[in-house]
Amino acid sequence: MKLRLCLCLAAISLALATVPAETARRPRYGGVLRLEIGALVNPPYPALPATTPKQAAAKEQIDALIYDSRNREGGSGPFQVAEWEPGKHATLSANEKAPGGRPYVDSIQIQMGRSPREMLLDLELSKADLAEIPVEQARQAADRSVRVSMSQPDELLALVFPPGRAATEDARVREALAQSIDRDSVVNFILQKTSEAAGGLLPQWSSGTAFLFPTAADSARAKELWAQIAASPKLVLGYDSGDPLEQSVAERIVVNARESGISLAAQAIPPAPAAGAAATPATATATPPAAFDARLIRLSMTSPLPRPALTSLLTTLGGMTTIDASPLPDPATPEDIYNRQRAVVSSFRVVPLVWLPHVYGLSQRVRNWKAPGPGETWPLADVWLDGPPDAASEKEKP
Amino acid sequence: MTFRAKLFWIFTFAMLLSVGLIAAGVILVTREAFEELNQQHSDALVQQFQREFERRGQEIVNRVQGIADAEATVRMAIDLSRPKSDVSIYVNDASGVSRAHQLDILDFVGNDGSIISSAEWPARFGYKLDWVIQPEDWVARGAFLMKTETPDGSALVLVSVASVRVGDNNLFVVGGRRLGKEFLASLVLPAGMRALLYLNLDPTFQPADLLDASGPANDAERLAPIIQKEQQQPGQQTSRINWTSDPASAEFFHALPLLGRQKELLGVLLVGNSQREAAILESRIIWLALAVTGIGLLIGLLLSWWGAARVTRPVRRLAAGAREVAGGNWNAHVDVRGGGEIGQLGRAFNQMTQQLIEQRERLLQAERVAAWREVARRLAHELKNPLFPLQTTVENCQRAKEQNPELFEEVFRESTGILLSEIENLKAIVSRFSDFSKMPQPELAAVNLNDVVRNVVKLFEAQFGAVGRPPITPELHLEEELPAIQADSTLLHRALENLILNAMDAMPAGGVLMLRTSHKDGNVQLEISDTGTGLTPEECDRLFTPYYSTKQHGTGLGLAIVQSVVSDHGGRISVESETGVGTSFHIELPAQPPRRPQTFPITYEKQKVKEAEKETKEA
Repeated sequence: MKLRLCLCLAAISLALATVPAETARRPRYGGVLRLEIGALVNPPYPALPATTPKQAAAKEQIDALIYDSRNREGGSGPFQVAEWEPGKHATLSANEKAPGGRPYVDSIQIQMGRSPREMLLDLELSKADLAEIPVEQARQAADRSVRVSMSQPDELLALVFPPGRAATEDARVREALAQSIDRDSVVNFILQKTSEAAGGLLPQWSSGTAFLFPTAADSARAKELWAQIAASPKLVLGYDSGDPLEQSVAERIVVNARESGISLAAQAIPPAPAAGAAATPATATATPPAAFDARLIRLSMTSPLPRPALTSLLTTLGGMTTIDASPLPDPATPEDIYNRQRAVVSSFRVVPLVWLPHVYGLSQRVRNWKAPGPGETWPLADVWLDGPPDAASEKEKP
Repeated sequence: MTFRAKLFWIFTFAMLLSVGLIAAGVILVTREAFEELNQQHSDALVQQFQREFERRGQEIVNRVQGIADAEATVRMAIDLSRPKSDVSIYVNDASGVSRAHQLDILDFVGNDGSIISSAEWPARFGYKLDWVIQPEDWVARGAFLMKTETPDGSALVLVSVASVRVGDNNLFVVGGRRLGKEFLASLVLPAGMRALLYLNLDPTFQPADLLDASGPANDAERLAPIIQKEQQQPGQQTSRINWTSDPASAEFFHALPLLGRQKELLGVLLVGNSQREAAILESRIIWLALAVTGIGLLIGLLLSWWGAARVTRPVRRLAAGAREVAGGNWNAHVDVRGGGEIGQLGRAFNQMTQQLIEQRERLLQAERVAAWREVARRLAHELKNPLFPLQTTVENCQRAKEQNPELFEEVFRESTGILLSEIENLKAIVSRFSDFSKMPQPELAAVNLNDVVRNVVKLFEAQFGAVGRPPITPELHLEEELPAIQADSTLLHRALENLILNAMDAMPAGGVLMLRTSHKDGNVQLEISDTGTGLTPEECDRLFTPYYSTKQHGTGLGLAIVQSVVSDHGGRISVESETGVGTSFHIELPAQPPRRPQTFPITYEKQKVKEAEKETKEA
């Protein structure tokens, strides 16, 4: 709450500071925006498929800068590719003939494959203007005087039970595990209070009914259910080996489960090729391997509107577990949306855990940045830079 | 077994025993020395382990205290001491601090025992470590062993606790290092030794929890009994494991229990000491001992054989001399030198044979005199009877010639008849004596003794039932399967006649004459028993003496002839008698008489008698 309050105050003050600036000062053209990302993105041509969900998401964002959303084939986006060294860096120059007008910055230098620690350090040292920050490090970044921009919590971290596993076919097993999970400790400690506990499939800000889904742990109920199971199975919980947040949450779930007497072990899932990941933007992860009784997944909202968001989410989940993934009626009433969520959650095939925001770190000179919402792209064409460029950028200028 | 062989085996046994005892003693002493050496090595390693354990414990104490004294920790303690402090900001602190201080285990624990941050299991934040907040002087406690939980399961750790006190609140720092294969790898072990660590994390033995320097130990199941013994009763103990049938594969294990804060068994250190080198050395010593023993035995056997021969040589000479004496050669002389017991025995033997010869000479002399006296008495007795009628007849003739010439003719005829008759008697007497002196050598042929007995009895049948004489009933108990013997049937017939005549003379009132034949061990036996008057023991002793007779008109030659016949056939004769009951003669004849019948005494006697007769003639 404290952090959230701080962030809200910061956002309000930023907004108050920005509005007079925009009105009082004209946007300054020129400058190089230094963007750092963690993924290694392939160049737009030849069009190679992304290999990881993160790579796919980053590529989607960069492609949106190059191509016009109305004419992707034509390449008439706000920026053009000036240089691209695969796996290292790329330079996008401003497209003078962009349909929406020339971007404010002259170019964008993209550094790829940067670790969260490096990005945070570069932001701290003003060597980067914009970078993605892991949500669990948002508080640490703010404590280190980095400007933090946070989106609405639009990414769901959930527990999914794949079908065909004998150990979890008994609903009591799934419910026992779900009841043992202490979401508040995940939110408060692991995510440092930068996220929301999730009980439903849509966040409160989107559906308005999320508070109706309980999120508190019920260890007694979990123990009672587990005691009813004659042959207590040994469960295995999988998580993405490249995702530290998933690992931390998985380990906490294991601790909670063991506290309730449930035999659960966490195991990393090795990276799997996600050839089709690009085709399903903003949705995450490959199909869970059958070797796990449950696994953690991240599900991104594709729309701020509840119906399309839930439809997309159910479609994705339908490929992972046995739930009712049929389309919602159009138009769908809030009751329809609530009931569908309730049906899915009550099956305990999907256990929502937390809603995560997207967190960005900004340098002090970045202006007019707004964290993109669900289905939105980075608004880099509207960003302008204030203040003198740093020495490194000046050196790079011819 | 000969005396020499006995001596040889006694020497050999004594030598074997002594050599064996020495070899066993050497092996025993060697083995004890090796075991003592092994024990010293094990003790040294155990001490090294304890020193290393203490050193590491002190190192951990210092590091944990260093963390507690660090500025960041003090700040954390101050922050946490404030009301409604936010502990979530410290949730990841332990990981970085533990890496910086090279600790496997690090927990920041709040005043209520809740884990604020955990390096080994970051997800355990919020859970409580109640034992930390129990009243205890952690500084005095130092480092101690404990079992802790990690995401991978239970682990054995060497930990220390330090506290930072701010006001009434304590911030506890629990840090330590795992006890595992890395710790074992850090121990410097002598060649042939190894250290294993069992993590006593489960109530029952788990093979995967037995570690060596490279990870889970091989053949852990074989060491299960040692661990189980420690689990039942912790304490230092030693056990031997034979990995294969080869003794060199054996390994001594010294078990050292590792106890926790509450004296609970948390681990067992096993110090293994390979017996390969010791077994090889011991094997070499044994083979060397065996070789020395073998050579010693060989030399000892030769020496024993030589010694036994040397010791028994005079005894063998004595034995040979005794055999000669037993064979009749009383002139046997033993050449024994030296002054020992054997020498004295040899000289005594020679002296004894000399005395025997002298005594025999004296005895012969006495017997010769006695025999001649007996002969003279017998001759006088036998000749006196016919001489008296001769004398009276001649005197009658002289008186008739002088006093009644008319009757002379008649008297003369009667007297000459009497004279002739008495002269015949004289001739018969002389003939009997002559016959005894001319006993022929037996002419051997296959003879069935039963036939001889039947023939003789048949010859006497008329006399047994003669009119005017009390009857004598012969009883024959003849064995049907009696084997034939090589004998002179005529001589046997004559001997049997004499015995039956004696028996008849012994039964003037009649009786039973029993004749029994049998065989045993290849010899044929004949028993002749009567129910006559019997003999006194003195008579029995002299019964076979020539010219001795218990009868008024006996010549005393009958039983002498019987004995002579039996002796000439290589047999033996004996007599049993009881006065008033009867007499039994037992004759035993061999199936095959000796080629030269051992009649030395008789032959010798005869020779001596001949010599005596010759001397008498010459005299």
